[in-house]
Amino acid sequence: MWLTIYYIFAYVVFGYTMLLIAGYVWLVFMSRLAQRQLDVNLPDDATIKYLMQGSPLTPAVSIIAPAYNEEVTIIDSVNSIMQIDYPDYEIIIVNDESTDRTMELLIEEYKLVEVPYDIAMRVPSKPIKRVLKSTDERFSKLVVVDKVHGGRKADGSNAGINVCSNKYFVCTDVDCIIEPMALYRMMWFVVNSHKPMIGVAATMLMSNGCLVEDGKVTEAAVPSTFFPMFQQLEYLRSFLISKLGWSRINALPNISGGFGLFDTDVAVKSGGYDPMSMAEDVDMLLRMVTYMKNNGLDFQLALVPKVCCWTEGPGSLKQLARQRTRWARGLFEIVSNHRKLFFNPHYGPIGILTLPYLFMFEFIAPVIELSGFLFMIWLVLTGGVNWSAAFIIFGMIYVFSVFISFFVMFFDNRLKAVNWKSTKVSYGKLILATLLEPFIYHPIITYCSNVGYWRFIVNTTAVWTPIQRKGVRKKK
Amino acid sequence: MRTIFFLKYYFYVFLAYCKFLYSYVIYKFADYPDEIKVAALISATCVLAIVILSLSMLWRSRVEKKKAKQLERIDRKYGEGMKYILSSEATELLSEKEIERIFGIDRDELDGPLLKNDREKRMFVDTFYTYFVSQRSEHSRTENTHTMLQMFGIPEFLEKDVSLGSMKHKADALGKMRMFKLPISLWVINKLLNCRYMRVQRLAMYSNVMSSSDSALDYFETDFFDNNCCIKDEIELGFSLQRRRKMGLKLPNLARWAQIQKNEKTQCMFVRLMRRFDEVEYCGELKVLYKESKKKKLREEISRTWGYLHYVESEDLLIDALLTEPDDTKVAIMHALTRLDTGKSLDALLDGFKNTTNPHVRFEALRCIYNYGDAGRALFYELERNCSEADQKYFTFFNNPITLEKIRLDKEQAYHPSVETVFNG
Repeated sequence: MWLTIYYIFAYVVFGYTMLLIAGYVWLVFMSRLAQRQLDVNLPDDATIKYLMQGSPLTPAVSIIAPAYNEEVTIIDSVNSIMQIDYPDYEIIIVNDESTDRTMELLIEEYKLVEVPYDIAMRVPSKPIKRVLKSTDERFSKLVVVDKVHGGRKADGSNAGINVCSNKYFVCTDVDCIIEPMALYRMMWFVVNSHKPMIGVAATMLMSNGCLVEDGKVTEAAVPSTFFPMFQQLEYLRSFLISKLGWSRINALPNISGGFGLFDTDVAVKSGGYDPMSMAEDVDMLLRMVTYMKNNGLDFQLALVPKVCCWTEGPGSLKQLARQRTRWARGLFEIVSNHRKLFFNPHYGPIGILTLPYLFMFEFIAPVIELSGFLFMIWLVLTGGVNWSAAFIIFGMIYVFSVFISFFVMFFDNRLKAVNWKSTKVSYGKLILATLLEPFIYHPIITYCSNVGYWRFIVNTTAVWTPIQRKGVRKKK
Repeated sequence: MRTIFFLKYYFYVFLAYCKFLYSYVIYKFADYPDEIKVAALISATCVLAIVILSLSMLWRSRVEKKKAKQLERIDRKYGEGMKYILSSEATELLSEKEIERIFGIDRDELDGPLLKNDREKRMFVDTFYTYFVSQRSEHSRTENTHTMLQMFGIPEFLEKDVSLGSMKHKADALGKMRMFKLPISLWVINKLLNCRYMRVQRLAMYSNVMSSSDSALDYFETDFFDNNCCIKDEIELGFSLQRRRKMGLKLPNLARWAQIQKNEKTQCMFVRLMRRFDEVEYCGELKVLYKESKKKKLREEISRTWGYLHYVESEDLLIDALLTEPDDTKVAIMHALTRLDTGKSLDALLDGFKNTTNPHVRFEALRCIYNYGDAGRALFYELERNCSEADQKYFTFFNNPITLEKIRLDKEQAYHPSVETVFNG
């Protein structure tokens, strides 16, 4: 009987691995097609700017950045956002009743005064206490919203959506560093789309190790510290292969909360962010898709790999574990809350391809990996391991993971998604991360995911703890 | 020739290596179960793919380095001259001799064309294009650009790209020719109009709209866009029409095009273009469309256009429509009536304020009353004095110096032929 279980388990896992490999190869192929499309459709920055700058048709955008206890970085961050090059935008900073001097600093620095504002509470958020604008003409784009403490970023973002007056909004974190041309490149996809564009995603990257000058990343580099270096590789793989591939068939599963553009109207009609969700960005996008599909409306989703948003990643194991446990809970929430979308042809490629893939290879994978690991220990203890076969299977998985990471570098090299200061050094670090990842980083992530699932099942109260920022290298 | 020989040699070596690797794997794992064979073959394929990817990256970085060097050389040699020609200093008409002097070219020393081959021409035109779209002064003369491009044989090169190049090159070259205002032969455009690539087809159409005589503008006599119209089309079409007007050519009848199209989005686009190009002449033709159309967005755009173009004959129609239209269209009508400013519509605006509970419409109605001349302003203050507590918020908003900016009517600038910068013309 044990032997039968052993064989069934071994063949199920082998079949699962083959499916996973096939899925990755398909995504690589799709992302390559998406790149070819980008080559033809995305002109150089100067041309985009030339066509859009002077046109009254260029859509206006609101940039929403919730802030809570950010007194150390708030002024630098707002100044960084203000450097965005775009003809028509407003910046909405939402202060979530910070207990430090965040609000006072903003008032002092930008000469803010309270203004009357007619706010329709279109999406649920904690009450807004006041809206402030600057008396200085230089900061006329800035709107600061002071609201009752909600405790979650989603609540702050919703307050920003309630205040925003433009057709499109970008949701970002106050500590993110955005490229000056980011909005132009993203909006190019909006003006160039024949279907209503409801969301545009950007590439998120680690700012740890980058040199920042006056709120701009002047020297892009792969972090030298251990965990951010692995995360950089993981982010590049996720954005340049997985998400880019899905965007090719209009089935993007996620627009990152770090920097994503949305259609305000559709976001409002689908209820905005869910303040109780642990994965509010995926949740909102799926609700937007549900809304569009249920109303028989056509839509488009896109990812622009050439738009980079730099954010500081967790530098220590403790912070990383906390973040990944939270993400795993978020994924569980998504799977349980949006289960009607899974394998449902009514929701198009997202329903029949992306979400099943997410379920099979991202949700179940940590559980299978853990069970495989335990099974392996049992086999070692009972002396039932065929070592040569085990090495070959392990070798296949290892070489395949290296191959995928090489593809990421190849894509990055072709797309010029990131303007590395030194390509050789950066790729060297990425190769090092590639070689070490399966032994160091991946087991940690698997463990954290399983802990996250367990906490969701036993219903432990989720606490949102912000990452402790060390700050990036700065040059004034 | 030598490079090709070596490439061929390395290719055959690589093929032999692949063959050896697969034979070895098959031989080595011949006695193993099938799943192990599959795993070994996948591993071998991945190893080969890693080698190919690494070589490709190395090759690419080498090519790019070489390209960057060439671009740098072109920039060093011609960059300053290009910048001068595009700057506001070069406002006079320059002759070929003067341009040669600017670039430091000595014809006697040359034994051939200025740019030797297509690669150099591509580098040259790419460098110039970058300066053109980023550094060009609005006072620089198009004639000077044309003379310079002619000297270097660029128009012929671009036209060759348009007719013989790949789709990407075709699109790039068409875009550049349009930006530089270079004429494109009609036969080339006609050929491209049948192209199956939408982007190339449309670029060709926009180029033709820019430069051809009236009779050739018959694209929109059919439902050209067929549901595939986006904001970029409007931007590009506006750009071409702007150029056309600057060249002194008459604009086509946009109202007629709006009538012919079936898709609401496309119809709205033509109505908006009419407004932006001050095409008052055909405003009357929109009346039929307004009365017959059941599309709310289209009626909204037509109302706005009448307001902006000051088409007073539409006032009665708009006042009647104010009672029946949905909220969004109502707002557009109120703005149009305010712009017409004939003094007859104040009561209609007041009704617009009183007969709705929608705060947005109420606010917009007040905004229009505030902007409706002296009589409107007087009425506004009277309303403020007698307002209820619930309405007080609107007036508070009006009295704040920072938000007062929002109260002025939206300004939409028209594409006047004299205004060069409005559309980066």
